[in-house]
Amino acid sequence: MSYGAAAAEHIAGGDARIDGVSTRFPQRVYGQGQEPDPRFSLANERTFLAWIRTSLALVAGGVALEALVLDMDPTLRLVAALVFIGLGLLAAVQAWVGWMRTESALRVARALPGPAVGTVIAVGMVIGILLIVLGFVLP
Amino acid sequence: MTTPSGNPEDAPFDAGLQPERTLLAWRRTALSFAVAGLVAERLVAGTLGPVLAIMLGVAVVACAAGAYVLASRRYRRAHERLVAAAALPPGGRAVTALAAAAALIAVTGAVFVVGAGTLR
Repeated sequence: MSYGAAAAEHIAGGDARIDGVSTRFPQRVYGQGQEPDPRFSLANERTFLAWIRTSLALVAGGVALEALVLDMDPTLRLVAALVFIGLGLLAAVQAWVGWMRTESALRVARALPGPAVGTVIAVGMVIGILLIVLGFVLP
Repeated sequence: MTTPSGNPEDAPFDAGLQPERTLLAWRRTALSFAVAGLVAERLVAGTLGPVLAIMLGVAVVACAAGAYVLASRRYRRAHERLVAAAALPPGGRAVTALAAAAALIAVTGAVFVVGAGTLR
């Protein structure tokens, strides 16, 4: 079947709807709008998963700083580790909130939200790296 | 589209292989979780003792393997429904559970780091 025919079926009404009301979780996302192009939902899901892996990498980096007992100023090492882990937590929150906001925007045919915390994570990583460099240089 | 089996239902839903790429993204995420969990288990093994450490390791690998299997099953369902012009199967619960697991790992990491950084 051509994609156009599939999209027409989607717009005609997804089968997860009962009396026009979606029962899918979370309601905040699925209780509005119309079934979007499934390729866009799948891309949104992959973006979510990429943020989750980013979160894991940031947490792993922070934990490694302490676990490897690097020869650096212990206070700066601890602060840098906490900065990276805090950014990892933020990335996990961004993954979920971003997924919900993007899926909602797709359903109501609005412009997609940008990565809300992208700047915070970029700036935070620079700060974390500077702390590590300082920690090696200082003692 | 022609397929090795000659069955049109086995053809990919779209030429961009979106469902297949999403399946692979779930798989590498599950593998990342397994690796991160096992490294974490290795780090805290000395503190927890062997029994708790083995239980933690088995639990982490079981969760990652479960996510891997669930993602494969969800792909199969998504493919069947998409080629039948139905909506994607719901994914909100899996997404929420995975985000909660990532947040839990971050909090656990913070506890470990504070513990290691202040006790040393």
